[in-house]
Amino acid sequence: MRMTKLMIFLTNLSARSLLISTVMLMVGCSQAVTKTDPDGYPKAAPKDYMVIVNRPNRVNLIDLTTNQIVRSCQLPGTAAPGTVVMSPDNRIAYILADHFSNVYGVNIDNCELVFSAFQSYANIRIRSLASIAISPDGKSLYTHQNPVRLLSDHFEVMDTRIAVYNTADGLKAQPVKTYPAPRQVTIMATDKNGTLYLGAPDIYAMNPNTGETRLAIKSRGLETPHFSQRDSLTVWPIGSVSNEFIRMYTTARYQDETQDIDKAKWLWGYERIDLTTGEAESREFGPLEVVLFTGMTRPGDKNQMYAVLTQLKKYDVSRQQELMSVDLEHTYYCLNFSTDGSKIYLAGTFNDIAIYDADTLQKLGNIQLTGGDMSMSTPQIFAREI
Amino acid sequence: MRKHLLISLFHGVVLTLLSSFAFSIQAGSPEQIIRNNCVGCHIPESDDKLSRISYQRRTPEGWEMTIARMQLMHHVRISDQEIPISDEIIQKLVKYFADRQGLAPSESANYRYILERRLNVVEQHPDAEFAVMCARCHSGARVALQRRTEQEWRHLVHFHLGQFPTSEYSAGGRDRNWFEVALNNTVPYLAKHYPLKTQAWTEWQKVKKPQLEGSWRLIGNQPGKGDFQGVMTAIETEKDNYKLSVSGYYANGDSLTGEGSAIVYTGYEWRSTLTLDTQVFNQVMAANGHGDEMSGRMFLRDHEETGIQLSATKMDGKSRVLGVMPNHIKAGTEQTLRLVGTALAGDIVLAKGLMITDTVSRDSENILLKVKAAKDLAVGNTDIKVGNSRLMNGLVVYDQVSHLEVEPSYAVARVGDNGGATRKTLASFQAVGYSAGVDGKPGTEDDLRIGYLPAQWSVRAFNAQAEKDQDVHFAGKMNKNTGIFTPAAAGPNPKRKYSTNNAGNLAVIATVQQGDKSVTGTGQLLVTVQRWNNPPIR
Ligand code: HEC
Ligand code: HEC
Repeated sequence: MRMTKLMIFLTNLSARSLLISTVMLMVGCSQAVTKTDPDGYPKAAPKDYMVIVNRPNRVNLIDLTTNQIVRSCQLPGTAAPGTVVMSPDNRIAYILADHFSNVYGVNIDNCELVFSAFQSYANIRIRSLASIAISPDGKSLYTHQNPVRLLSDHFEVMDTRIAVYNTADGLKAQPVKTYPAPRQVTIMATDKNGTLYLGAPDIYAMNPNTGETRLAIKSRGLETPHFSQRDSLTVWPIGSVSNEFIRMYTTARYQDETQDIDKAKWLWGYERIDLTTGEAESREFGPLEVVLFTGMTRPGDKNQMYAVLTQLKKYDVSRQQELMSVDLEHTYYCLNFSTDGSKIYLAGTFNDIAIYDADTLQKLGNIQLTGGDMSMSTPQIFAREI
Repeated sequence: MRKHLLISLFHGVVLTLLSSFAFSIQAGSPEQIIRNNCVGCHIPESDDKLSRISYQRRTPEGWEMTIARMQLMHHVRISDQEIPISDEIIQKLVKYFADRQGLAPSESANYRYILERRLNVVEQHPDAEFAVMCARCHSGARVALQRRTEQEWRHLVHFHLGQFPTSEYSAGGRDRNWFEVALNNTVPYLAKHYPLKTQAWTEWQKVKKPQLEGSWRLIGNQPGKGDFQGVMTAIETEKDNYKLSVSGYYANGDSLTGEGSAIVYTGYEWRSTLTLDTQVFNQVMAANGHGDEMSGRMFLRDHEETGIQLSATKMDGKSRVLGVMPNHIKAGTEQTLRLVGTALAGDIVLAKGLMITDTVSRDSENILLKVKAAKDLAVGNTDIKVGNSRLMNGLVVYDQVSHLEVEPSYAVARVGDNGGATRKTLASFQAVGYSAGVDGKPGTEDDLRIGYLPAQWSVRAFNAQAEKDQDVHFAGKMNKNTGIFTPAAAGPNPKRKYSTNNAGNLAVIATVQQGDKSVTGTGQLLVTVQRWNNPPIR
């Protein structure tokens, strides 16, 4: 209960902002022009693209050079939550859909459905929060499963686990392996060596060949006399362009041993794994003044931290200072960067993506999606030749 | 309000339903309905018991909610077609279960606010862990109004996490190992405090249940409207079913008249639906053991927040003074007072210094008096006597209003309408006046509660954030005479920053004029978003 104040704050805010999107969905969102792909795109040097899901069931490939929608594929299911991870060659988007239950793999070059996993079976119902990841060789897809056995007159919550799927199994794939895993996992990612990171109350690292799991970053379990228990909530596995697995947390720094929360200073921090080296770090990066949903370090400079919800903010990590902040036109749940780190893309909530200059936080423009809102979908950005 | 992001996100989850079971409901006895429709999923055991069902007790509203869930989630069917169970059949089952597996009066006594839809009651939980574990998505009363075996409490935890996976991810859940704590701490706690077998229930089952037919003298108060009194007649049409007629009046002369019907559950749980003038009201009352008093609330079916806190007294020939309207008089003034009672007869005796200057009218239920209070009259509670019956401390004599309290001190209103499915939830406030008492100092022990006073009402920003966001401008309008706040329309407001909705955090101010000095009191009003579902037990 040490978090009471912030909890109320967060709750108020999310109630307000969520409502907006729900209502927008009900009244139908504004129209935008979709340019579908003219056949035979010329081969070109790698350019930035974004993949994002919006309602009711669209997977969009957006050219971030022209800000045009190249292709809009249909998912066989419903969009929510629309958590996206890209195959290492950035051709297949793996999407958690159908109300946190099924995973679809869509070839974004031709909209072909190349993979599906219907996680529930028999009388076992399975949900995954937003926790899907892919191995660096693209051969294995991982999900974190929350299973419940539905018996004729009662339910039985089962232990949570990591399920491993072979992507080559194609449609209606079944897990080839499962490993016991902690509860309360939200996001996951793999590093260059294939270690699977699980964003749980603490961050864990699993060897997906053996299921062996170790603690990577102590978070909720951390007991530091001068800080309150950390709180972290994210359902957005962003970070690939900065080569990081990252999530933000809130904490209060007490003035002294009395742990007086009214005199404590509220801070934002991040927990981060470098996906090349596997190096883990966690630190506070700035004052907590408003609620923020997602944040990332800038590609190429991890001392620059950016985060978003009602404002877009930039922090100097080592000095724990907010450097810049701009008010947004509406809330955006999720941010991401262009691969060179020069631009920021804000997505989620409604059906428009906003583009900002990463140096000046000047707004550069918008991309309108056709259809409903992106809600909690994850925008994935990558550079490739198409 | 208490819900965090993820809970809401999961709300839309459409479930993989157990569709392999198909049952047919045939109209008939409750036993037959149960045999035809519950058995199959629920397993018959010895002594006519059914798995799960026989190990739980709850209120009528509790049974209604559970049976509704059986229908919604588990597809209880009529024949092979998916026709919802008719209200009539649900009604039969609720009655059957509430009578056999209900709560004793003493078991429901502390949590009647939730049944009466008094939604501004701020719950106090003796156990902090219970409050976060079980009372952050819904009221703690929803839990405390059930009795179960330990195994049944455990099943309930599995149901929660199985059905609402976000229970362990949302704020108040992800700060701990929710599932482990629920099984290891909360389940034993619940089994200890809310066990299936209790002495209270064993005794209540044996007691001869009160007879509730007859005429009832109603007395109550409605925020924003004032004192209310009337008569309700109940004629038993079949066991535990009553036909009702009501004629009532507010202090301002407005009448409230009409008819309806009531059902009594568990021998004391009075539930009625009435059409009074043009509006539909529900009564939720509890009868006492003698069957000569009921108390509870009567509220608008479609605006549960608007209603009368009510008590009903059997008009059984016994003489009683039940109340005085208003219940206070200022020293040195003359005022009209209404005495409300049953079988009122005989001389009227007021405290010394209170002079009856005129008896305007009187019959056996109402006496209208003009009363003059002497200027130097001692401040305090006084008794009223009519014939042989006496109302203790029924009339307050005061000199000055020293301070006011706004009631409720904290209320929630909700935006609504605007083409959406959800109505606005209004908030109504009352000003309770206090006299400083003999020592002349407010805030001391001898302060005297005067009662509800007419006041002038206004709102202002509760804090700097609300000021900055112009909450007063956007959140809605306070009626300055009645204290009723009507929230603004639902939906995003493009005129607000981030197009947020018309939520707001307001201070509510009541002002009473004392000569040329004004006395004020302050409360808080949170204007927030709609609730998307409004089950009978929040
Ligand atoms: C299609 C199968 C099915 C049918 C038919 C069915 N139930 Fe259930 N019932 C369940 C399941 C599954 C649960 C456990 C999950 C839950 O609590 O919703 C349950 C739980 C319950 C509970 C315990 C709820 C709690 O809060 O712990 C009660 C009481 C109950 N059922 C009553 C009934 C009654 C009365 C009927 C007949 C009108 C009925 N059920 C018909 C499947 C069924
Ligand atoms: C994450 C939110 C959440 C938490 C935490 C929560 N509940 Fe509930 N509870 C619900 C919802 C939603 C329902 C309504 C289920 C329905 O009927 O559809 C419910 C229903 C109930 C019911 C009525 C069930 C019935 O059919 O009779 C009881 C009793 C209850 N909860 C007790 C508890 C207890 C005990 C705890 C703590 C262990 C708890 N709840 C924690 C969300 C929650």
